[in-house]
Amino acid sequence: MSLNREVINVDCETVFNTLYDAVIVGTGVAGAIVAKELSQQGKRVLILEATVEKDFTLAGFQSYVETFYGAVEKNPNSPYPTNPNVQSPTNYQDYFVEQGPMTLSGSYTRVLGGTTLHWEAKTPRMLREDFKLYKTYGQGLDWPISYDDIEPYYRKAEYELGVCGDVDEQKKLGVEFAPGYVFPMKKLPPSYLDQKVSEKVEGTQVKLYDQDYTIRFSTFPQARNGEPNPDYDHGNGFVPHGVTTVHPVQYGERCQGNANCVPICPVQAKYDARRTLGKAFETGRVHVLYQAVAYKVEHNSENGHVTAIHYKHYKNQNSGEYTIGTARGTLYVLATNAIENARLLLGSELLNTSGMIGRHLMDHPFTLAWALMPEVTGTMRGPLVTSGIGTFRKGKFRRNQSAFAVDIHNDGWGWATGSPKGELEDAVDNKHKYGQELRQTLISRVSRQLLLAFMCELLPEYSNRVTIDPNYKDKLGNYRPVINFNLPDYSRRTLAYTRKVSRVIFERLGAEDFTHYDSRDPAYFVFENEGYVYKGGNHFSGTHIMGTTNKNSVVDTYLRCWDHQNLFLVGAGSMPTIGSSNTTLTIAALSFRVAEEMLRELNSISPNLQPATLPAR
Amino acid sequence: MIDINSPEFEYFLNLSVVLTGFSRFHLQGTGVAHLYFETIRDILGEELFGELLNIFHGLELEKTEQSIFSDRLRSEILASEKFGPITRNIIKVWYMATWYALPLSWRDVFGTKEKDRTFIISPQAYPEGLLWTAIGVNPPGAKGPGYGTWSEPPLVSLNQG
Ligand SMILES: Cc1cc2nc3c(=O)[nH]c(=O)nc-3n(C[C@H](O)[C@H](O)[C@H](O)COP(=O)(O)OP(=O)(O)OC[C@H]3O[C@@H](n4cnc5c(N)ncnc54)[C@H](O)[C@@H]3O)c2cc1C
Ligand code: SF4
Repeated sequence: MSLNREVINVDCETVFNTLYDAVIVGTGVAGAIVAKELSQQGKRVLILEATVEKDFTLAGFQSYVETFYGAVEKNPNSPYPTNPNVQSPTNYQDYFVEQGPMTLSGSYTRVLGGTTLHWEAKTPRMLREDFKLYKTYGQGLDWPISYDDIEPYYRKAEYELGVCGDVDEQKKLGVEFAPGYVFPMKKLPPSYLDQKVSEKVEGTQVKLYDQDYTIRFSTFPQARNGEPNPDYDHGNGFVPHGVTTVHPVQYGERCQGNANCVPICPVQAKYDARRTLGKAFETGRVHVLYQAVAYKVEHNSENGHVTAIHYKHYKNQNSGEYTIGTARGTLYVLATNAIENARLLLGSELLNTSGMIGRHLMDHPFTLAWALMPEVTGTMRGPLVTSGIGTFRKGKFRRNQSAFAVDIHNDGWGWATGSPKGELEDAVDNKHKYGQELRQTLISRVSRQLLLAFMCELLPEYSNRVTIDPNYKDKLGNYRPVINFNLPDYSRRTLAYTRKVSRVIFERLGAEDFTHYDSRDPAYFVFENEGYVYKGGNHFSGTHIMGTTNKNSVVDTYLRCWDHQNLFLVGAGSMPTIGSSNTTLTIAALSFRVAEEMLRELNSISPNLQPATLPAR
Repeated sequence: MIDINSPEFEYFLNLSVVLTGFSRFHLQGTGVAHLYFETIRDILGEELFGELLNIFHGLELEKTEQSIFSDRLRSEILASEKFGPITRNIIKVWYMATWYALPLSWRDVFGTKEKDRTFIISPQAYPEGLLWTAIGVNPPGAKGPGYGTWSEPPLVSLNQG
């Protein structure tokens, strides 16, 4: 089956002349799910996408892989073409205007499919207590919905993303599931390194605020193709996307252990949003306009209704020239991610009754700890992470300090030190090794590496925010995100505490500790007399949080803007807290929930008519 | 065009065997030996590259004992102000398909070469980097080893020959 590009890709004039059921901005996982759900139910959808169209084909994808092979710095955005008109952090170091006091840093990608092109694809659910943190521990905020409200949508999200994992392991960590539920695919086998670490460390007791915690290892649920679970869907099983279909973007093999999930999975075993987009496009009811950068959401000042989205359409990514266009629909969805949504909302001078647009910016700061194992355990094998420690995701200590989750990295020290490239440079240039000795040095220095990454919760802080400033605009004259960011002691205490945990683990393993925090690093901080460095977690969230009223939040439980009733703000920006879960599964679950609400509304306005204006396939 | 029968190419292969610790068979099996030879010659110029290869060939001809050969390799090539940085670059080309711009201190003395900048020799060469073979893994992002292989013990060990 091939997609009819003529039906899908439209020009500004067609867009101008069509009234859509929904106008969606962004083709990331959030926008893609909404587009798919609406179009499959007969609704006419327009997606505005800022990026240049890259072939939705294997050839287009292969060109990313080639670019990656040819890049000297293999950073998260290295496979994707730079686009001066639509900048992404990482490619453009100064895209974020960081005003401190600490740096946010981090990465996303403005390409077709969005940041899932280079995400790592860990997909843990949030815990019941994460939704009522304030009620339970007097910290952060409570969600206006409970775990039970979101649970059915977690199931939909796990189906859509194709999650592999082990329900029993997750239950031990406190995650709740519907009776009899299993993940679509079986858990990914733990790496040899995981096995060696857990052999010595499993069961270790540590004390935290007078409570005993026992360190336990478990695999991560992940959105990459593994072995389908025959018990899924009451014994009907699961067919991984892309394996049986011959869809152009989905040759999606089973994970080959390429250890390259970030920045690009060469065999497309890893989920990315193009899979969902493909299903939306197949309906024949989706239009996409590329090179269309939304810059203003227009509203009617009398009733608050959004009346149009204005965009800048550039002809060529290397020239800042553009024309202006307008898109109209019954409902509008912003799905450009937490940072970009905030920037766009603020730049549109929309109502902001709560004053919270852009505020409560969150991320998951990480600390890293690295050591050499006493024996060769192998690195750079398998997905970047297969197992970790979930012990500290919940517990009474959350009254005093933030929750955290721990990853064992199969790719060695890369994140911390630039290994193995740096190890090779060091072995050749400083250790003066060559020949057989060089080979042995590399085995000793690379194949014994162990890196632990500690992902810490950060609460919604009113002063952590995205703002805009007319002094900082990009090439198209759009606002760049101005960031104010700090880490409260609640998180710093945990970031510091993780060092204690890593020392205990390394001691148990007899591993040689190489952890070192450089005081010149902009992310360096001192806590109780010891210095640490944190890394940005790329889980930007919380810039338009959901809540119970227009005073305490920007959107309601269906991510509907309080001030603009036909505008939905999809993505992690709507999350009032993020616990110790990577955000995307929750983004996906919420997107399904929004789509349902939008369908209810669209159907109440005009019960499903034959979608005549767009030719169906 | 490169003459693959030229003696210099042979010397290059022999030098590469010594520098990388991989057999001639292995190096040729990567399919990028000619490309590397050509690229390096192009950067350094025929004269300078030829000089290095001929010095190495001289050492080989005079080789009697391994330890003496190794000492001379160190003193005359690896520790040479002129050839040390180049040979270290050759190792990195083989291991990571990357040519590193020669150090400033080298350029100050021996002059700037027009094509000398840090770059990946070619996208096709990247998966052939010996670094990955040395540590017993596939190149990240290419030649995936297969589902579940990561659960097995690693393919390399510290005492292998
Ligand atoms: C290195 C890395 C690793 C990660 N690993 C994980 C992980 O393991 N697990 C996890 O849960 N999450 C992970 N994440 C986070 C995850 O990638 C994001 O949460 C997710 O992709 C966000 O999806 P989104 O649809 O909200 O936004 P995005 O994917 O960022 O999509 C936004 C879309 O909007 C478009 N757009 C932006 N601005 C405009 C505009 N003005 N006009 C028109 N279009 C616009 C963009 O081009 C893009 O298509 C990771 C992120 C990174 C960077
Ligand atoms: S380990 Fe490799 S094959 Fe598996 S998802 Fe990651 S990049 Fe893809």
